[in-house]
Order: sequence, then structure tokens, then C-alpha cells
Amino acid sequence: MTPVDRRNLLVHGASTAAAFALAPEILRAASLERTNAPIDVAVIGCGRQGRAILGELAKIEGVRVAGVVDVLDSRLKSGQRRVQGAEGFASAKELLDKLKNVSAVFVATPSHTHKDVALECLDAGKAVYCEAPLATTLDDARVLARAARKSGKPFATGMYGRSNPIYGLARSFFRSGSIRDVATLRAQYHKKNSWRTPGSNPDEEAALNWALDPKLSLGLVGEFGAQQFDVFHWFLGAYPTAVRGFGSVQLHKDGRVVPDTVVCELTFPDDRRLLWEATLANSFESQYELFCGSMGAIKLAWTAGWLFKEADAPTQGWEVYANRQQFHDEQGITLIADATKLAAQNKLKEGIGLPNPPLYYALADFLKAVTENGTVACSADEGMRAAAVAILANQAIQLGASVAIDPAVFKSE
Amino acid sequence: MQVLATEAMATRFELVLAANDEAGGDETRLRAAGEAALAIVEECEREWSAFRADSFLAHVNREAARRAVPLSEDQFELFAACDDVWRASDGAFDPSVAPLLGAFDRRGGELDVARARERVGWKSVELDRERRTLRFTREGVALDLGAIAKGHALELAAIELRAAGVANALLHGGTSSVLALGGPPDTDAWRVALEGGDGAPVVELRDAALSVSAQHGRTLADGSGHVLDPRAKISTPNKALVAVVHRSARLAEAWSTAILVQREPSGAARELDVAIGSGPRFARAWRFTRPRSNSSFARPSTVPA
Repeated sequence: MTPVDRRNLLVHGASTAAAFALAPEILRAASLERTNAPIDVAVIGCGRQGRAILGELAKIEGVRVAGVVDVLDSRLKSGQRRVQGAEGFASAKELLDKLKNVSAVFVATPSHTHKDVALECLDAGKAVYCEAPLATTLDDARVLARAARKSGKPFATGMYGRSNPIYGLARSFFRSGSIRDVATLRAQYHKKNSWRTPGSNPDEEAALNWALDPKLSLGLVGEFGAQQFDVFHWFLGAYPTAVRGFGSVQLHKDGRVVPDTVVCELTFPDDRRLLWEATLANSFESQYELFCGSMGAIKLAWTAGWLFKEADAPTQGWEVYANRQQFHDEQGITLIADATKLAAQNKLKEGIGLPNPPLYYALADFLKAVTENGTVACSADEGMRAAAVAILANQAIQLGASVAIDPAVFKSE
Repeated sequence: MQVLATEAMATRFELVLAANDEAGGDETRLRAAGEAALAIVEECEREWSAFRADSFLAHVNREAARRAVPLSEDQFELFAACDDVWRASDGAFDPSVAPLLGAFDRRGGELDVARARERVGWKSVELDRERRTLRFTREGVALDLGAIAKGHALELAAIELRAAGVANALLHGGTSSVLALGGPPDTDAWRVALEGGDGAPVVELRDAALSVSAQHGRTLADGSGHVLDPRAKISTPNKALVAVVHRSARLAEAWSTAILVQREPSGAARELDVAIGSGPRFARAWRFTRPRSNSSFARPSTVPA
């Protein structure tokens, strides 16, 4: 690419930033089209994720949570405390039989149950939002992706990066060559936590701790890796061809076999490598994705993002508006959605960090697709691909070896 | 015994959990129970932090002048507590001081501060107790729940601990809000000193909460203390330290701020267990609003009655 081409691309990137505005306005809460009557939705699964979904749905105008489902009564009650007037059910079937007006269902059950619950909702003619990973086996993921396509209803996999305004802005910079030639890719999930949940009796405790059961769970790579791998799939427009993995129990030596610390190396086309690591033994720097190129690096941390430029990278006009943050010896330009507009209003500092959690944008995007018959941010097929990579990465971790990824796993037909 | 901690609401929350048979008696289950409680604290951080653009509180501050914001049961209970203490303290506790806190903290000029003063006043906040919604009756209102949210988080965390069978624990948020479940293994009550050094009272807590408020905890950028008098719309000049014991952690926290602003407990505050200290290290003079009425405050022997 010549310097002139590059400048044009960056100018294009900047104007993309200038034009970038989440519709509806980024600082306002989302509301569905006023011409539409409020839509009834339901949430299946009232654990931590289900409750977070309920909390974010309550912010969106034009949405009524008509029903919530959980097999555990304490969790069901906890879900009902989150919203006003939601009827409680012990199973998806009861809800679907009774609440015929529900248009869309949010599935936040344990990952290994996603397929059955989501299929039930699709069979009942509902639009479905399913948390990641889409499924925990290749067969389940494929069956669900096929059913979602056949249903003709909107089906979204909850991949937050694809709806996140900061990630969208970062991707436009990335795709327009702002860090030039990609050399390394890195991501991590760090959170000091045992991953155990207390229950009131042994059966309940076993059910709540499904994530520590190796027969049911993909471990850290399923619960967090799939979400982060999808960011790289989306940015690169490519999928890995092989994965190498290692795992061990470093801190929580309580008899578990699901590792509390894992490292994976994913090989992408052009011999690009993504190093991903996750641990439940340490919280340092939490969760992020990092793209390093010959002219700079982009670091994304879910509610914020930064561009770090190489010293020889050209300076662009839009940088006069930019906010900067110091990270030890590095200075990052803060990536702010709608930056130029905020700068014109002298409100640039107010735009640092998302005004809502990433989950909110994923839900709002899905509801927009439901009410306006639009496309979802992350399809079932894309969800299937991220799940497939996580499933094979988990195999690699269990084997402590490299596993080739057959491109056929990325096709649902 | 397990000690767990997390950073939330710009401070450190810590739990000390004592093992008991009901909690399974094993450290793994005790830790899991503690982590579930800390997860609740972290949820409260995401909801109520004044330091996050994506908190529910930030959402309320952006939206409530435009429409009635629906509240969950827990959110409603918190705002209802704000409303109750605002009324009972004659406005000495008022979370709508946020604009003025902001103006002082950015060293705003006279005009900036004057505009911020106009925006203070809980009377512009309408809590619909039937519909469970909250709205602002005018533009520019903004809330800061820094004087109640830590206690709220502790209360919800304690519910989680009890549900997991933990009967004995001490929880605190930034050391200024403390909640005791039961007592430590060998004694009846958790003993908490109000200040370092000799002469400070020791509070004995069992299934009760303690909150301490003073100006010296944090200073705003313009040099003033962080506790504002919402009625005079200035930083309160009271240099005392106020401690309140209450069954409810959020009410203890709200009332300790209210009494610091009132200077002397008045109205409903006279019914509370309050200790007020003054002097450079609060060692010279302590007053107890209900001496001997409750064993919560152990009078230090060095302090004259």
C-alpha cells in the first residue's frame, strides 16, 4: 500500500468514526420503533447472566418481560425481583404453552442445555437470542444453526463484540489499515474466582456447578474463549486452522479436573497466531483483546478501547480531537464512538467508556432485528463457528497437544 | 476463617467469614459463599457506582428527566430508603447533591457552582411507589448514592451469605460501612474500633450495621470536604466524626451522613444509636446519644462521661 493510499484509507477511517453513531443515539437508552406496540419477551435461565439480561432489558423502552423461567425456585424469584409483572415458570415448555404473545426469548441457561432450550423456542415460532457458547458439541451447534436458518425468525448468538460501538469503531480502523500489517494477536480473561456456586443441598449444588463438570462443560475456553475468539473472527474475516492448548489447576486445588488456568495458540491463515490465556487464579488486567501491527496496536477491553501508534506512523488530522491515556511508557488514543460529534459539543471526555454495558448493545441489536425484521449482529452460523473453535480448543487443552481445524466444522450444511 | 475482597465503588470491600456447620464447615464451600456475596457487591458496583458511565445510576441520571424509569425491587428499595431518610432528616440527607459535588470537584467557577446549586433538591425526584418508577420533574437533576450505596451492597451481600448458610461474618465497604452477621468464633460480638489509637470507642456488633461519616475521609479538588450540606448547598463545616449503629446497613450509612450534616441528631435521628467524636484524633470527647441504652458502643475508659 502506498503512503497516499494509506492516508486515504485513514481519512476514510476517520470519517467513518465521525459518521459513527449508534442508532438510536449512543447516550440515550434504546427504544423500539414507536409505531410498534410494546413487544413481550421472556428470559429462560435466571442465574447471574439471566439476571444481567433482565437488568438491561428493563432499560429498553417498548419491551415488556412477560415471563421468566428457572428450574430453581430461589433463582426464579430472584429473576422476578428484577422486573415488574413477569410471570414465573419452572420450564420453557410451560412458558411457551401459556404465554403465546411472547415474540422473542432470551436463552441464558447452562451452555450444554442451549441447544434443547433454543430448539424448543424455535419450534414454538419465537425469535431467539442465545448466550455464547451456542453449544458444547459440534453436532449440537450444527443442529441448532440449521434449525435457526430454517425457522426464518431472527436468531442471535450473544457475541457482544459485534454489537459493541467501541468494537465497531475499532474494527473500522482495523479494516482500513490503521495498524497496517498484523504481526501478533493476543487476548486474555483473568478473574480470581473459584467458579463454584453454593447450593442448598448436594443435588442443587451439583446442578449449579455444571461448569466444573468436564462431561458437560468446555471450561474457560467455552465460557469466555468463544466470546473473545469471535472478535478475532470478525476483525480478521478468517477462522483458525489449528489450535494448540494446555491447561492445569494452579490455584483451586479442591478436587476439580476442569483447569483453572489455560493457554491456547490459534493459528490463523497467513501464519498469524493468536495467544489466548485464561485464569481463575489472578485478576490482573481482566479481559482484553490486542491486535499488534507494523504501524500500531489496538487494545480492546469491552467498555473501552485504545489505539497505540508506532513512532513512524503518520499523524492524522482527527488526532487533534483525540483523548489520550497513559499506560506506563505507552500513550493510547482513546477510541470513542461518535467522537467527532462529541468533540463538536465539547463533550469528548464524557464519551470515554461505554454509557451502557456491552450486553445492553447485544440485546438492543437483537430486539431491533426482531421488531424491524432486520439482520442480527451475530447469526447462529457465526455462533456455531465460535463454538466449534472453543470445542476444538477444549480438546487441545485436554490432550495438551495441537488439533487441526477442518474448515468443514464451519459449515452447518 | 476466610478473608475475601474486591474493589468496588472506588473502595475495597472485604468479607471475613467464620466457618460454621451449616455452611458445610469446609473452606471450599465457605469461599464459594463469599464469592457469591462479592459477586453481589460487584453487581451493585455496576448498578450504583458514580464513577462508571455504564452504571444503572448513570442511566437514571440520563433518562429520568425524560421518562419514568422502571425499577427492580432492589433498586426500588434503595430509592425508597433515600426518600425516607430525606424526609425524616429534613433534607440533611439528599442524594441530589451530585451536580454540586461535580462543580466543587472540577473547581468550577462562580457561575458553574451557582448553576449546580440550582439543580440540588430531592423534591425534584418523584418516586412512584405504586408503579415502582423514578423520574425527575426537571432537567439537570443528578443523583449520587455515595452516602448509601455501600450499605445497600453490604445488605444484599449478607442476604446471599445467609442463603448459603453462613451465620458468622463481618463485611465492610471501605471500612466506613460495616455489617456483622452473628459473631466471631470465640465471642458474642465483632469488635470494631472507631478510630486508631487509644481512647476511641469500640463498637460491639452482632447482627447489626455500623457506619462512620466524617469530612476527613476524602477531599474534593477545590479543597472542601466531600460531605455536602444539601440545604445550605455548601460543604458541611462539621469536623466531627459520626458513627451510627442500625439494623440496616444502608440506613446506618444514610443516617451517619445526615447527622454529620445536622451537627446534632434531630428528629428521627434522636432514636438512633449515635456516637459523635470531635477533636484532632477524636480521642478527647465522645458523646453518645443513648448512653447505656444499648451495649453496641463500649464507652472507652479514658473518655469522661
